[in-house]
Amino acid sequence: MLRGKANAPAPPEIGEDAAVSAAALEAVFQGCYDFEARDVNIGGDTQRKARLCFIDGLVSGSDVAQQVIRPLTDPGRFGDVRDGGAVIEMLLGGSVYVYTAKRRDKLGPLAGDLLNGFCALIFDKERTAVTFEVKSPQRRSVDAPKEEKVIKGAKDAFVETMKVNTTLVRRKVRNPHLKIKSFNLGRRADTAAALVYIEGFTNEGIVAEAARRLEGIRAEGVLTSAVIEENIVDNPRSPFPQIISTERSDKFCMNLLEGRVGIFVDGLPLGFLAPGTFSQFMKVPEDHAGHFIVASALTLLRYMAVFLTLLAPAFYVAVAMYHQEMIPTRLMQSMIEARASVPFPTALEVILMLLAFELLQEAGIRLPSPIGETVSIIGALIVGQSAVEASVVSPVVVVVIALAGIAGYTMPNQDMGSALRLCRFLLVLAAIALGMFGVATASAILTWHLAGLESFGVPYMSPFAGSEGRHLSRALLRRSMTVKRDREPELKTGGGGEAKL
Amino acid sequence: MKKAVCVCLALAVALSLTGCSGLTIFSNYRRLENIELVRTVTVDSQGGGGVNVSVYGTAGEQSEARMYERSGPSVGVAMGKLLLMPLGREAILSHTEALLMGEELAKESIRECLDYVERFSEMRLDTGVLIVRDGTARDLLAGLSGADTPASDTIAGLGRNIARVGEGYFFTAREIASSLADNGCALVQCVRGVEEEKLFEERGELNLEPAGFAVVREGAVCAYLTDQETLGAILLLGKYKSRNVDLALPGAAVTVSVDLAQTELEPVFDREGRLTRLRVRLSLRANVINVAGMADITDEAVRRTCEEALTEQMTGAVRAAVRRGQELALDYLDLEGAIRRKAPLKTADMPDAWQDIFPLLAVDVEGKSVLARTYDIADPPELFGKEDKNPWEKLIESLKGS
Amino acid sequence: MGKTDRITERQLSVLIFVSLLSPMIRILPASAVLFAGRAAWLSTALALPAGAALVGFTRWARKNAPEEMGLADMALAGLGPVAGRVFDILCALWLTFYGGFIARSAAERLLATVYPNGNTPVFIVVMLAVALFTASGLTKTLSRTAEILMPILGAVIAVVLLSALPDVSAGNLLPVTYRDLKAMAYGALPIFDVMAASGYFLFLAGRVRRPKAQKPNAFPWLILLAAVAFGVTFFTLGTLGEKLAVSMENAFFMVVRNIKVLGVVERMEAVVVTVWIVTDFIFLAAVLMIVAEIWRTVTGAKKRAVFVAPSAALSGAAAFLVAGNAFAFQRWSDFIVPAVNLLLAAVLIPAVMAVGKLRRRY
Repeated sequence: MLRGKANAPAPPEIGEDAAVSAAALEAVFQGCYDFEARDVNIGGDTQRKARLCFIDGLVSGSDVAQQVIRPLTDPGRFGDVRDGGAVIEMLLGGSVYVYTAKRRDKLGPLAGDLLNGFCALIFDKERTAVTFEVKSPQRRSVDAPKEEKVIKGAKDAFVETMKVNTTLVRRKVRNPHLKIKSFNLGRRADTAAALVYIEGFTNEGIVAEAARRLEGIRAEGVLTSAVIEENIVDNPRSPFPQIISTERSDKFCMNLLEGRVGIFVDGLPLGFLAPGTFSQFMKVPEDHAGHFIVASALTLLRYMAVFLTLLAPAFYVAVAMYHQEMIPTRLMQSMIEARASVPFPTALEVILMLLAFELLQEAGIRLPSPIGETVSIIGALIVGQSAVEASVVSPVVVVVIALAGIAGYTMPNQDMGSALRLCRFLLVLAAIALGMFGVATASAILTWHLAGLESFGVPYMSPFAGSEGRHLSRALLRRSMTVKRDREPELKTGGGGEAKL
Repeated sequence: MKKAVCVCLALAVALSLTGCSGLTIFSNYRRLENIELVRTVTVDSQGGGGVNVSVYGTAGEQSEARMYERSGPSVGVAMGKLLLMPLGREAILSHTEALLMGEELAKESIRECLDYVERFSEMRLDTGVLIVRDGTARDLLAGLSGADTPASDTIAGLGRNIARVGEGYFFTAREIASSLADNGCALVQCVRGVEEEKLFEERGELNLEPAGFAVVREGAVCAYLTDQETLGAILLLGKYKSRNVDLALPGAAVTVSVDLAQTELEPVFDREGRLTRLRVRLSLRANVINVAGMADITDEAVRRTCEEALTEQMTGAVRAAVRRGQELALDYLDLEGAIRRKAPLKTADMPDAWQDIFPLLAVDVEGKSVLARTYDIADPPELFGKEDKNPWEKLIESLKGS
Repeated sequence: MGKTDRITERQLSVLIFVSLLSPMIRILPASAVLFAGRAAWLSTALALPAGAALVGFTRWARKNAPEEMGLADMALAGLGPVAGRVFDILCALWLTFYGGFIARSAAERLLATVYPNGNTPVFIVVMLAVALFTASGLTKTLSRTAEILMPILGAVIAVVLLSALPDVSAGNLLPVTYRDLKAMAYGALPIFDVMAASGYFLFLAGRVRRPKAQKPNAFPWLILLAAVAFGVTFFTLGTLGEKLAVSMENAFFMVVRNIKVLGVVERMEAVVVTVWIVTDFIFLAAVLMIVAEIWRTVTGAKKRAVFVAPSAALSGAAAFLVAGNAFAFQRWSDFIVPAVNLLLAAVLIPAVMAVGKLRRRY
């Protein structure tokens, strides 16, 4: 039983504009065990003190001690400075060895700095504080991406620390016009976010719209990617992803250079890119690493896989239930033979196998890595084989479902793969209800749905639709790198933003 | 508004998942395991206007093929009865490869069968149509069913092979219907059963062999073509891949394979625009595949003799096929169409109707044959009646001597 | 962002192309062969210039019209508020009926080809429900749907036609001489009838963006439509012959039933029939959208979506009531509907546009 009333009075709000004082700050963080406050003698003089405040865990203790306390207490440095204001100026001027120092005279920003890994020196008399960035170096190191396999590319994936991510981008896109605009999102978590774009190149309308949507997020905090994705996309009810999310810094930068805006959120090891179109979700950075002919063939294979994963089970159901005339005679005979001892109707067989496939997949994801892989493999082999031997399902169904499943796994983007898996179920239901007519109906509705999606004003299905039939080859094939690459016309990029000023 | 539309749509689809008649397509649903795959259908006359229909089907690869038969006043009724098969199975006709009709029925009319194939949505127009001679179609199918090879495979195998070797052609329902509609007549392949001798068994296995073409007029068989006439028809219609022909020469027999037979028609019109004559030029290309006896095929004179013999045989066949059509007053070779394509305006301006001209039309058939090659062997092997011994014998003798 | 419902001329052309595949397969090749016999496969060559002339005329008539002016507005401007409304309402009523006819025609085709034991109501209900859903949306969504599906349709048509090539017999297509020109011209009428139906889409012309420098985009699509008409007629006539092609209800699908793709995949009529159903969906949705657009213009309403549901309901009633059985429906399909379409789309609509143009109303 939860104690406390649901509508208990809210704690006193931090007055954003309240004056700075140590007492006020300590009152704000009252009850927080990790909030530390101590007096520091300026220039070693016990009569002149400043209050040092920080949040333990967010700051580097050694940096605080060496970079802030030590120079501040040095009589040789501050011994003769009597005026608090002069001390403040010296601090801001570099007398302590910290590369970021800010003056704060409002309580709100001061508290915000503490939460961002700063320590604060509060001068009550001057009603001013100086904050120093002494963030703890504890962070996950840059490693290879875990969710997006890299065969022939950079292996520096994004981490949870936004600054590291922006650094990775800066190293790849050395362009003075690369802008990183910061935001604070979430009413209670105040999560740092950044909008990344190339000024003069990225379409201003997209940038402005992205900024507007980020500022419009009304969530309590941005701790998961869905908060960003569902709040800023045009059609949050569609299961199809409409912004690209990636762990890979090379993919992120490639998309920036194509005219997209990027978004980082502190705490999420992902970079988001908008607008996202269907054809973008079919591409992998390896397409630009291998030969263009091979890359083109693999891209076409992926599109074929989309049709296979969506339509194979539904097609099988429709044909086996209603349109047996389509099955060649020999195959028909072996299918009749195979199904002779199967007790379930075709529809149930297919749905059971699809569900089993999904369950195995979920189990494989949830379990720890070594066990999960083993469970998936064993489950697939044993369950599939046993089911066939026990005549619970026929071998053809196992083959069809496995083919559809494997085709689904070729999707470069997991969100797209998940959306296709969901649509696969709906198509199977349509096939059960109405045969090939049902498949055609459901496919038409799905196509209509995709045709209606837009991502930041760009048609989701461009260049297949809404692009005047041009640049279709861009989606399906990769041209040689020796050929001048045109920018994506639907992103309406500008002519500027070159690396050289 | 859109929500209401979505709900209506969902309801519409959901309703179609129920068993409500009229709102579902479940009446088209078949369980695969209950299907009896019919590959051959036979129809025989029962006398007195009725028909006897039998189907030959399999339930699966390993299961035994079965034959079922029913009678009825019409093909449709009899087929309907066949749907009530024993063992709860459901026959589907969409995989039917051949429709066999008994000779008696064919003499009465084949229209009903063709109509059933055309109208019934399960059946296909590319179903081969055959007439069974010297017996009923049902008996032939029953006889074939007893063999190791399924009857349907035997029939399908014959269909593939006879076109390949130029012994005949399985006209499809579409071709027959189209020909009947356009020309009022058509050709249909005939087959008959032959008993193959088997060692240590009283009765041999029944096999299938082609039995020439039947000529159908106004939906009923009116005549059968002889082997020579059938060959002529095959050549003129181009329904072959190759045809082996035996040529009798003095002291030898040569077998050639004709792989190309081009026909050129030249209609001859008089000043009034009447069609007086039709010249048929046959160009043949053949390859020597067998030489029996003392014939040196590398000799140009021998080859010329072969070519002449081949020409005579083939032109004779074409002549016979055309003459038979004239006797029957049936243009089953669609010579009118060929002449029309050759001289469309003159044909359109002919004062007399084709049906009146054709039976009395003078048809000259000329031909030219070329022996193209004899494959690997250039000289005939010196086996008999020559003084020189076999080189191996010479070698063995020389070794013995040493 | 992206909330305006405007399309380009190309998108409208693609929408028209995909939509007109639906009536094309109903009319061809039987109607063309009935008039032109063996020469029907060449009738497309005569229909194309007529179709091009009609398209050219509509371009000329709309040249100086404001971009937002659709045909309904043009009728009001050209004929006056009363006569214009009468014309618009007449078109709306006819198209409402035509929508039901499309649904019924598709259902009958499904029953005749791949669902022999089915019932028309289920197909009609589902089709109208889907069309209602899509017609309530934006024009640009429907046109993009057509753009996406067009390559798939094209691929299926190409595969089917090429696979039917081995069965084509020259004897069914030749000879054709200059004397057949008159018959060919008659045979061109059904094909022109199909092309003329593109005139209904002028009611959506107010949604089309017309940048000044843009080259005309409609003619390539007209040629493509003519090419498909030619292919369907050529291959069906070449395979079945004159008499069979005329006697069969769905001659093209009979041909499809007997083809083998690469000698391996056979009996694919279920796939082809249901792929063609997609064109019926799009045409039906477009027609409902057009009807709603007309009513919006006539009543001065702000949104057209409110008119879609009642129109769909009336179309549904028409689909069920138009004919009691397939025989009666065939009469509508062979004679009445093509005749009215020709009169309305090829005569009345151009006449109305010409009147407005001559009176310098636009």
